[in-house]
Amino acid sequence: MLSENAVKEIGLIRNKYHDAQSSLLPALYVVQKEHGWLSPEALKEVGEILNVPKAEVKGVSTFYAMFRHRPIGRHLIQLCTNVACMIMGSESLLNILKERYGLEPNGTTGDGRFSLVVMECIGACGTAPAMLVDTDFHDNLTEERIVNILEKYK
Amino acid sequence: MANMVNLKIDGKEIKAPEGTNLIDAAEIGGVHIPNLCYLKGLKGIGACRLCLVEIEGMKSPMIACTTKVKEGMSVDTKTEKVQEVRKFVIDLILSMHPLDCMTCTKAGVCNLQQYAYDFELKESSFTRKKFGFAIDEANPFIKRDPDYCVLCGRCVRVCKDQGTNVLEFMGRGVGSKVVTANDKPLQESGCTFCGSCVDACPVNALLEADRWRKGREWDYDKVKSVCLLCGNGCDITVSTKDGSVAKINAGALEGSPERYICAYGRFGFDCIEADNRVTTPMKRVNGELKETTWKDAVETVANALKKAGSNAGFISTAGILNEDALTLKKFASDVVKTKNADTTASLYGSADTLLSGSTGLDSADLFVLVDLNPSQWERVLPAIDAVIRRRINAGAKLIVVNSSEPKIASVATINLIENESSALMSLTKALIDKGLTADKKLESAVAGANVSEAVEKAAALYAEAKNPVILSSPAMYPASANIALLKGTAVSVPVESNAKGVVMMGLTTEGKSYKEMTSGGASLLYAIGEVPLNTRPKADFLVVQNSHMTELAKQADVVLPSAAFLEADGTMVDYNGRLKYVAKAVEPAGDAKSHREIFVDIAKAMGADMKEAKESETKKLAKVKVKPVFSPFERKEGLDVKVDEMIESVNASVINGSRLLWLKEAAVCA
Repeated sequence: MLSENAVKEIGLIRNKYHDAQSSLLPALYVVQKEHGWLSPEALKEVGEILNVPKAEVKGVSTFYAMFRHRPIGRHLIQLCTNVACMIMGSESLLNILKERYGLEPNGTTGDGRFSLVVMECIGACGTAPAMLVDTDFHDNLTEERIVNILEKYK
Repeated sequence: MANMVNLKIDGKEIKAPEGTNLIDAAEIGGVHIPNLCYLKGLKGIGACRLCLVEIEGMKSPMIACTTKVKEGMSVDTKTEKVQEVRKFVIDLILSMHPLDCMTCTKAGVCNLQQYAYDFELKESSFTRKKFGFAIDEANPFIKRDPDYCVLCGRCVRVCKDQGTNVLEFMGRGVGSKVVTANDKPLQESGCTFCGSCVDACPVNALLEADRWRKGREWDYDKVKSVCLLCGNGCDITVSTKDGSVAKINAGALEGSPERYICAYGRFGFDCIEADNRVTTPMKRVNGELKETTWKDAVETVANALKKAGSNAGFISTAGILNEDALTLKKFASDVVKTKNADTTASLYGSADTLLSGSTGLDSADLFVLVDLNPSQWERVLPAIDAVIRRRINAGAKLIVVNSSEPKIASVATINLIENESSALMSLTKALIDKGLTADKKLESAVAGANVSEAVEKAAALYAEAKNPVILSSPAMYPASANIALLKGTAVSVPVESNAKGVVMMGLTTEGKSYKEMTSGGASLLYAIGEVPLNTRPKADFLVVQNSHMTELAKQADVVLPSAAFLEADGTMVDYNGRLKYVAKAVEPAGDAKSHREIFVDIAKAMGADMKEAKESETKKLAKVKVKPVFSPFERKEGLDVKVDEMIESVNASVINGSRLLWLKEAAVCA
């Protein structure tokens, strides 16, 4: 299930930490980077590699909000709608995403290209509205700019 | 002995050992500090915020479960400030807890109910929340109803601490839930159904599956007794109602690492009322077993025994009580006048391999496990598995010495997976090299041993340990005891509950052995208890004295109904050499009698005036103190039963006559 590379990377992470529990979070990141989400099978595998009880892997992975337990699209859009971004028009950006891509918050496009999450402040109030696409940061968004940016993510 | 600290709690002068937390210290003084998440024996986690107390000189209230006693400390547990906080916490919890105490099984022992009562909370002042989580009740042992859960985490922690690791929190905040891996039902999660979580749950979220309308806590009579189903002999608390066992809980002291029982101990009691109980004596007439009277059965057996005389043979399990064993010994030697009386203990042990030292397991900081494969999952000496894992979680270390890798090896500090005799020999050598003093014999016995790096490390651990404990199979005990000559204690762990007791009572053969008698060595064979035999051995006459109609009993000439476990009282000696009182919880079914009553009746029919062995006699015999002696580093021959098979075999009626059968049929945890 996990790629050979991921297994190797998790092994290296394990060696960096004194106990298996400490290496669990970074190991889950490796899996999420590879699969986009944490499937039950992947959680099981991580538990087995690290020798951490399966129940504990599940517990830790559900405690932290940044781990996903459902598949997501190839690219994850995280759009801020907090006060500054809201005043600067993030609402209309949400509308664009819905009209153009059929994308609703917490949803995924039919072609599996984009998933959308509405975020709390991402610390870009001075250049609002802002979003993250995967790990790329984009600010000063307008209705036109957001479309141009997203066209680069296939 | 720890230093004592003086402090004041609610104005009471209290002396508590150094390092005690305030909840335990208050308890010494008879003061209860409210709590939901605290579990004696485990570190406080300060999660429920109920145990807040005010301490003189501190600005804000402190968490009692995580605060240790200090000399001169003055603690107030019931100030207005902390009572207000507690009321608030209970108010919050009540907003998501069903208010159905009138039909709730846990009424009367529910901590939340008690605190709501104490704080006069009829209903929460917050908006009512209901999650409607699914109930997990597909197994016959434990029902999990998350809607009652107050998220205290006791079940999660008790499960983790004993190393079963099945339960965990999912999510966070008010919407979190106690789940198994991937929220599967218990039987798909590696759960062993030991029920430790049931004992820990303060509310109705975890409960015995069959408890609904089977009585509440105040309906029960309770007795402290001992489980006799395997070599661990765990303390149990038996609750009975209307003359039947209603439930069994772990009986060791709260906070003790030994407070554990497995699914056999907790749920095996169904078998007491199983359909295949023998409740009247039976006799073979024209090839068929027919019910008869005690008088007829006793006379028949008495005549047969008279005829057989010294050719009669008695075989018993080693799960019988001391008083039964001693009465049997006297009955065989003085009345029947035969030397052939032996138990199943001879299959895996003997006096010199079973009788060993004893020690405080809760203070052990290093365990050496020799040739033992304890496993909660296989239910082979599960309590030892749990004790060791708990002690490891509290900082103790484990060295495994075994020729094949047992499951518990995964939590060991050092594994010596090699021939046990040579491993013990080199460990002894390494310890002597470290300066531990040994006598000449021992020193020369290990002179040629090779010390590997792993053994060197193991020796270092052993030399540093304050209270090292060696737990060994009987076959390896003499070799293991050599190490105890240098330091520490060696304990021999038998397969059956009272193996040490029956040996102390002298119920070891002076004539033919168990093996010899079961392979045609006795003209009359008299089997007591659930001996691991399915086919009738060659014998002219077969008497089976047991609580259940076993395969062997069906082939007997006379079947005598005996009391099942929990139906007779007496004493036993557990694996750690502790003499324990086994209380009777219910009356024997039908016409069944205790083993010793039956022996006395038959003796009378044979014209002998024999009395039942008294507790004072057995107590004296059980007082043997055993000191380790030098023995060669070798495995004792002929003591090689398969432990898992034997435990299953001597408990066949318990397993097949109770809900435990479900485990076998569903092949859970295999």
